[in-house]
Amino acid sequence: MNLSRPDREPRLDALAAEYVLGTLPVRARLRLARIAQTDTAVAAAIRGWEQRLSPFAEAAPPVTPPPRVWRVVALRLGLEPVRPAAPGPWWTRVGVWRGFAVASLAAALVLGTALLAPPPEAPRQPIVVVLAGADARPALIATVARDSRTLTVKAVGGTPVPTDKSLELWLLPDGAAPRSLGAIPATGMGQLRLPAAADVALNGVPALAITLEQGGGSTAGAPQGPVLYTGRVERLY
Amino acid sequence: MAVAPSSERNARLAQLLSRVALGDQAAFGDLYGATSAHLYGAALRILRDAAAAEEILQEAYVNVWHHAGSYEAAKSQPLTWLTTIVRNRCLDQVRRRELATVPLTPEDDDAPRHELPSDAMTPAEMLQAGAEAASVRDCMEALDAGPKQAIALAFYRGLSHAELAAHLRAPLGTVKSWVRRALARMKNCLDRAGDARTE
Repeated sequence: MNLSRPDREPRLDALAAEYVLGTLPVRARLRLARIAQTDTAVAAAIRGWEQRLSPFAEAAPPVTPPPRVWRVVALRLGLEPVRPAAPGPWWTRVGVWRGFAVASLAAALVLGTALLAPPPEAPRQPIVVVLAGADARPALIATVARDSRTLTVKAVGGTPVPTDKSLELWLLPDGAAPRSLGAIPATGMGQLRLPAAADVALNGVPALAITLEQGGGSTAGAPQGPVLYTGRVERLY
Repeated sequence: MAVAPSSERNARLAQLLSRVALGDQAAFGDLYGATSAHLYGAALRILRDAAAAEEILQEAYVNVWHHAGSYEAAKSQPLTWLTTIVRNRCLDQVRRRELATVPLTPEDDDAPRHELPSDAMTPAEMLQAGAEAASVRDCMEALDAGPKQAIALAFYRGLSHAELAAHLRAPLGTVKSWVRRALARMKNCLDRAGDARTE
């Protein structure tokens, strides 16, 4: 992608066209997007094509997204209208953990790449869950070997761990009530015991969540406090 | 280049965006109501995976809430700006897969992971509708079936050159030149129509 040659303009325009159409191969695509951040001619060429193709984009039939999409957006942004109207306990609302999980997925993928880099040793690949809050920054990371019952949780990035209250970790099984794994020690790092080996215990558990509970954890058998962090269970094998 | 019937809607969306930039939650709800089905349709068609499309949409609107202030009315229309955010995220995602996976075969394509609504138009029909909306139907009709189909599948379904070649059962080099020539043709049609309107 030499953009300094004399025929720069038509070449740039052709690249911008395929960028907006979507056919530009991934490396060229990412590179052009990066250049566009500082090069106004490149940015203008891309905008020109976005504008040109916009009638074609608008002609496509709309598809109404499921209501949970808005609920998750509103929840993540802490918008007011959704708070009082919440029907039932939060874990019954399907979308709750999902939105949070997106950002942590990105983090998990980065982490996953790092973990996948050495030659694969399938049984040793751990299950990794990156728990993130509404700001999408990884707050805690939980890892467990597939055949192990001991899950290690660690606060990262200076996540505050309260001393007068407890961070409690929950399994969020599909279609069932959350199941407590216990409180995370005030040191921000600890090992929690799963009810079975991770492969079994996390089967049908798409996500984990952390709530803020009274010191020592919820005594009610169900979350009492607010959800601070959630993360999707990623299997790196 | 603006299409007349949508200018009123765009003016309303621009107004909503400027209120969202000031933290107006009601405006944000209205903006979501007015644009989410459009954006979800675009994401679903490219990703063909409802869960992935929902996630992209959530990320996009969270970003819009935080960055509505970076929308520049002078540079792009609001719906184009929003669509671009979603399309780019979807395309980045599907293009990245090229690094790791083999292209879709026509057989895979017949069995999408997520069924689009049964009344959905075909990509070729969408392209046709777009050409009519932009008043360039006659000009676009001069395009041959192959290039037209390639553009429609690339734009609406996010297919790569290799996927287009497999889908259209044509050599890769042929498909690349179809796309290039069709884009040049579209530019010609659209810019001429734009000039005609502004005269």
